[in-house]
Amino acid sequence: MNLSFQEKSLWVVFLGLIAASGWYCYTVSESIVPTELAVDVMPDQVALFIAAVVLLIIVQIVGHIAIAVGDRRSEMDERDRLIGLKGTRNGAFVLATGAFFALSAAMMTKGNFVSSHVLLGFWVLAQLTETGSQLFLYRRGR
Amino acid sequence: MRKGEALISNKIRALRFQHDEMTQQMLADRVGVTRQTVNAIEGNKYSPSLEVAFRIARVFCVPLEQVFQYAGSGDPCA
Repeated sequence: MNLSFQEKSLWVVFLGLIAASGWYCYTVSESIVPTELAVDVMPDQVALFIAAVVLLIIVQIVGHIAIAVGDRRSEMDERDRLIGLKGTRNGAFVLATGAFFALSAAMMTKGNFVSSHVLLGFWVLAQLTETGSQLFLYRRGR
Repeated sequence: MRKGEALISNKIRALRFQHDEMTQQMLADRVGVTRQTVNAIEGNKYSPSLEVAFRIARVFCVPLEQVFQYAGSGDPCA
């Protein structure tokens, strides 16, 4: 499979996001006591979130350096821009849906744990939808 | 015409070979797009903008209609 620089870059973002958010979700779910629902985001979870963001940034930097070593970076052309716009549109639908559910969760649950994690979950999902749909469109041709 | 089938076809592959077996990368560099975009256009997966279509025709020194053909039905000029 012959991938362009943009496609490889999208794969790095896609896989990096899965790795960082997966690690965060797994670690936070391990720390929650199963008998009671967490009410507020705890300081150690904030630290975990920051660590996940740092992990994501490191994965992106290392991944893009690896791509740049083996590939000449080409400028974005009209097809890249069109695919980018379509991906952003798809991601925006998911993010808007997430904002609605996060607001609903904020109004119906105690504390900020549920609403902030609903928002975080949908943000990750929106990013995955955006990059995933771009990867799909690149393979389909447009 | 089946749904999803491209209405615009092209003769880019033939024209490339007529022009000293020009590679997709060479054409892409001269047109100002990526090689993957030339490949998508050639495979009728992506219809380029009018500007890129004209630039491709200019590379081969032929009129636009010699590069791209429209297969839509119902010719209002007939």
